[in-house]
Amino acid sequence: MSKNTHESDVAFIAALAELLRDNDLTELQVKREYADNDSLNVRVSRLQPQAAPAPAAAPAPQAHQPAAAQAAPASGPAADAPEDPAAHPGAVLSPMVGTVYLQPEPGAPSFIKVGAEVSEGDTLIIVEAMKTMNHIPAPKSGTVKRILVEDGAPVEYGAPLVIVE
Amino acid sequence: MTFPAGYDRVILPETDSTNAEALRRAGTLAGPAWIMAHRQTAARGRRGRAWAGPDGNFAATLLLHPSEPADIVALRSFVAALALHDTCVTLTGRTEAFALKWPNDVLLNGGKLAGILLESTGSGGRVAALAIGIGVNLRAAPDPAALEEGALAPVALLPETGADIPPEEFLDHLAAAYAAREADFTTHGFGPIRQAWLARAARIGQPITARTPRAETRGIFETVDATGNLVLKTPEGRVSIAAADVFF
Repeated sequence: MSKNTHESDVAFIAALAELLRDNDLTELQVKREYADNDSLNVRVSRLQPQAAPAPAAAPAPQAHQPAAAQAAPASGPAADAPEDPAAHPGAVLSPMVGTVYLQPEPGAPSFIKVGAEVSEGDTLIIVEAMKTMNHIPAPKSGTVKRILVEDGAPVEYGAPLVIVE
Repeated sequence: MTFPAGYDRVILPETDSTNAEALRRAGTLAGPAWIMAHRQTAARGRRGRAWAGPDGNFAATLLLHPSEPADIVALRSFVAALALHDTCVTLTGRTEAFALKWPNDVLLNGGKLAGILLESTGSGGRVAALAIGIGVNLRAAPDPAALEEGALAPVALLPETGADIPPEEFLDHLAAAYAAREADFTTHGFGPIRQAWLARAARIGQPITARTPRAETRGIFETVDATGNLVLKTPEGRVSIAAADVFF
């Protein structure tokens, strides 16, 4: 958990979004370094204005972790809209605020790798809160398409962890 | 001493780890069950830390099938810590000697008496099985040489208090204390558990350190909030923490 307040991160991201609009940019990526090896990675992107104006979705700030906070305004049907991993049908979401672990214990192999086949019920990841280790199982059998979190990173409730298809 | 109604009681001479044993049995044990082992061959602490259990110490896991969402289920960390605190006070009569450290450490004379590790499995935000593993140094403390820097020194009940309690007897008291706290939790929610926990907490109002894999936060230990987070007051403001190791 960083000492930097959540509010200041939100304000920072909001300012980036404004910069994006004012300068008619499509994408902006910034890395902010904090003390204690902590950093905030933000990527704000939008599609070029089209016939149907996109709703100005406020970028959802995530916890300090490399997974980018993305503004993903939906747009015209032909557009290849930037995807929101949380909305992906194969997304496995965090059931709680906590710390993510990709391995059963430090030094052990990870539960999963991108491209790995998993069976329903296999542990994908652990989310810890209050000394409770929540083994997050695969909701269905399939292939691990993406791992959206890093070992030891904090996660918010509902944050996408893994995509299994 | 009668075992609480509705709870199974399983005593094993030996197993790998009582948490692992409980989760293997989760499909066949429908109701709540305490599984105690006289010896664990692969006892584990949090994140793979070694857990040494000299003979005569206590190792057991309570297996539950809770129906709440995962963030509520995790509050049983506090329920278990309180039940263990209750048990120690009952068996020794020494209220002032015991204290709690966030979220679920039970301290005796300032040392680490016990360890509690919860593991859950489930899907879609629901928990299918919860294993609450509890290890208590009844007779002897493990070798402090294996300790992580800054960790509290281990202590044991017998040398510190003179109370010589066989593990089975300890289990019966703990099961009764847990059943009472669990009933309170399921009936009234986290409120009374939180109040009781705070009343027994060590270092409230004093500086403590919360360490996660990515960051370290030092601040004044203000409280535990309604969702179980540790709340520290730092020069940059109030910080609430869901997962960390706490150091004094």
